[in-house]
Amino acid sequence: MGNSALTGFPQTREFRPMTGAAKTSALSDTLFSTIVRLSGLLILLIVGGLIAVLCRGGVAAFHAFGAHFLVSRIWNPVTDVYGAAAPVFGTLVTTFLAVVMAVPLAFGVAFWLAEMAPAAIAGSVATAVQLLAAVPSIIYGMWGFFVIVPLMASHVEPFATHTFGHLPLIGTLFSGAPYGTGLLTGAIILAIMITPFMCAVMRDVFVSMPAVLRESAYGLGATRWEVMRQVTLPWSRQAVIGGVVLGMGRAMGETMAVTFVIGNSNRINWSLFAPGNTIASLIALEFPESPAGSLKLAALLALGFILMTISFLTLAGSRMLLRRKPATSH
Amino acid sequence: MNQLPSSMSVLHDAPSTVSTDIALSVRALDFWYGEHRALKAIDLDFPRRQVTGMIGPSGCGKSTLLRVLNRMYDLYPGQRATGEVVFDGRNILSPGVDLNVLRSRVGMVFQKPTPFPMSIYENIAFGVRLHERLSRADMDARIEDVLKRVALWTEVKDRLRAPAAALSGGQQQRLCIARTIATRPEVVLLDEPTSALDPVSTARIEELLDELKQDFTIAIVTHNLQQAARCADQVAFFYLGELVEVDSAGQMFTAPRQRRTQDYITGRFG
Amino acid sequence: MTSTPPIALSDAPPRGWQTTGLLAARRRLRDRLATGLSWAATALVLVILASILLSLLLKGLPGLTPGALFRSSAPPGAHGGLANAIVGSLEQTGLALLIGTPLGLLGGIFLAEYGQESRFSTLVRFVSDMLLSAPSILIGLFVYLVIVAPQGHFSGFAGAIALAILAMPIIVRTTEDMLRLVPVSMREAGMALGAPRWRVIVFLCLRAARGGVLTGILLALARVAGETAPLLFTSLGNMTWSLNLNAPMASLPVAIYQYAGSAYDDWVQLAWTAALLITAGVLLINILVRFGFRRGT
Repeated sequence: MGNSALTGFPQTREFRPMTGAAKTSALSDTLFSTIVRLSGLLILLIVGGLIAVLCRGGVAAFHAFGAHFLVSRIWNPVTDVYGAAAPVFGTLVTTFLAVVMAVPLAFGVAFWLAEMAPAAIAGSVATAVQLLAAVPSIIYGMWGFFVIVPLMASHVEPFATHTFGHLPLIGTLFSGAPYGTGLLTGAIILAIMITPFMCAVMRDVFVSMPAVLRESAYGLGATRWEVMRQVTLPWSRQAVIGGVVLGMGRAMGETMAVTFVIGNSNRINWSLFAPGNTIASLIALEFPESPAGSLKLAALLALGFILMTISFLTLAGSRMLLRRKPATSH
Repeated sequence: MNQLPSSMSVLHDAPSTVSTDIALSVRALDFWYGEHRALKAIDLDFPRRQVTGMIGPSGCGKSTLLRVLNRMYDLYPGQRATGEVVFDGRNILSPGVDLNVLRSRVGMVFQKPTPFPMSIYENIAFGVRLHERLSRADMDARIEDVLKRVALWTEVKDRLRAPAAALSGGQQQRLCIARTIATRPEVVLLDEPTSALDPVSTARIEELLDELKQDFTIAIVTHNLQQAARCADQVAFFYLGELVEVDSAGQMFTAPRQRRTQDYITGRFG
Repeated sequence: MTSTPPIALSDAPPRGWQTTGLLAARRRLRDRLATGLSWAATALVLVILASILLSLLLKGLPGLTPGALFRSSAPPGAHGGLANAIVGSLEQTGLALLIGTPLGLLGGIFLAEYGQESRFSTLVRFVSDMLLSAPSILIGLFVYLVIVAPQGHFSGFAGAIALAILAMPIIVRTTEDMLRLVPVSMREAGMALGAPRWRVIVFLCLRAARGGVLTGILLALARVAGETAPLLFTSLGNMTWSLNLNAPMASLPVAIYQYAGSAYDDWVQLAWTAALLITAGVLLINILVRFGFRRGT
């Protein structure tokens, strides 16, 4: 206590572990770290449960139809015979078309934002694009149903049928009655929905390229396009692909936007204008009429399991591509 | 302009004299980063086929001036230059200048090596293809020529298709120089090209400058005063955005005219 | 220039300012084309956004009457409103955040503070990211099978659980990212005072990162407020006024789904009004977050 005068503090604390306050503090730390770990475990349990529950629910369908379930085009509630081919086909086709349309669109916007946006409006446009990503999917569905579908029926589809319909091979793609709804319309809505996601990823990686690399390319006299095409894109290839795959995953699992405009028909048709179905839209439509324990419910759950498998694989792929840093120059 | 390099040998042998044949001429140049005036009324001539060294403490504006000479600052909104930079009879600050052509005639090498994410061969071919259509054989010859000039040929001739990122730092920087001269510029700007390199690589680049000035007008920004003394024919000292003094290297480092120059080169600040 | 281009650098004639060659013309054309297409893509995306917002305003605003806001659902022609859907949405998203936020915060704390490089935390981070982008309709199926089917009836509670599962990974992600931005020195300073680790995390780190963490919670709110698919099989929708979380419950997105597809003009009008309300809310949260965040950094 001799030096208490020096500091003015009473010298009562000593290093004697695990008494009183110290003990409670150690205990509270252990408790907290346990709770925190449990919450991590909960996430694993939810996803594990999701997989298990869908798997178990779908087993009955695979029992009844075997592997044939995957390739059968029949979906007939009357005879209680179900096959996954039509919705799987619709999912793959709409997703593919959506990605094909969205990639150039997203790239164009990202290129504009990264290289040519006037400083005064760049921020607002970037915000606008991000707002587009925040619009709920049902709004896209409704907008598509009331705005895009009439446009497709009255202008786009008749024009396309007239122009390409008589061509050999690809003519089939553009044949059929112009309902306005169908695979192509679904794909267009999906493309609009995933464009902002892809665009955000692309822009981030374009902007993150070291300025010196960009400047050296310009320093050789390259044009904006040459810098983008020959330096920026090769440099950011991996992350760009990751962003595209991420958008693809979103397109695959999207429900509401598609349900409104795809026409909801369980057929495989090579015309882009024909009504179709996706796994998600079929589940949304048919689930309310599928009593517990029925074979139809099992078939829907099996479809859900297929969707989950495809989209988790896609997401895992995109994550791997996005996590690894693109090759840098030391 | 049409003089052959061999005719420059007189000047090359006498580095203390400053030529009066001017490649690039800066007049009354002001530069602004937004509201900040980074260069103030700069007047400076770059003699043809000589090395002009630019020295001064960090933030003095020497790198900024370099970025005006090929208008690299144009990439960034909010940066602007006023005054005149005359090159081949035109003021390159005027709006009608084709920047792609300008940058091919005024090449630039950066502080850090910046190999593009492609092979050694493609790194050089990239710039050449922008401006010339060469046959395969001609391209091979051009690439061999520039790699020999930067003394990299023997080291890489067996792996021209290997990624450029696999080279060492010093090799990468020589590759970047090769890439720049392969587009046949008249002026080569170097922004502290050796600051990221080890002493051996630095020495090789300095030797290289002596070779290169037989064909090119060179402007080099450097932090290293010995480097300026060794390589430059003419040295310009910048301080707080002003050009304090321009002189032949011999004069500048033995008998500077300005007090501030003297303080800087004797290490009193900077 | 002769037909064979100069190979050696020294015998090259000066290039001059000419830009008339075929190569130069082709390069310029390509650049102009790419630039033009890029501008066009941007314009198209902006036009789409404008079209969505305009159609919502033009068709939704006329229906935004006190009746629409304060009446409950009713059969076509009976002057129904959205009151039960609005209240249902508020109740379910509110409860979802109440459940999802603490769990998400804890998960984020685990990943940022406790999970350093262990295999368990790598797995949790990976799985949480999967959940973040999992098709939301599957979450609906999951909650149906786990809660609705055993209970034997649809409920607002089940809907809230489904939304909470969607909100949680968003909050986990932002919390982890924000905590990682807190400087180590702050943790060390806290520990140096003798504070237990959990107090340092909760009262120093989380507090220092509160702006970003709050942003994550708001973004999660914006995301789940517009979700429809997971509610279809959980809270189902309800045509009558009900505050009972243990019974089927209406919500704005599900109301849009039911009304928009109907053949009745007044129901379609209600769907537009509901769409306007939900979009305005969601976009408002996003804009607030963006500007609040910009000011914070």
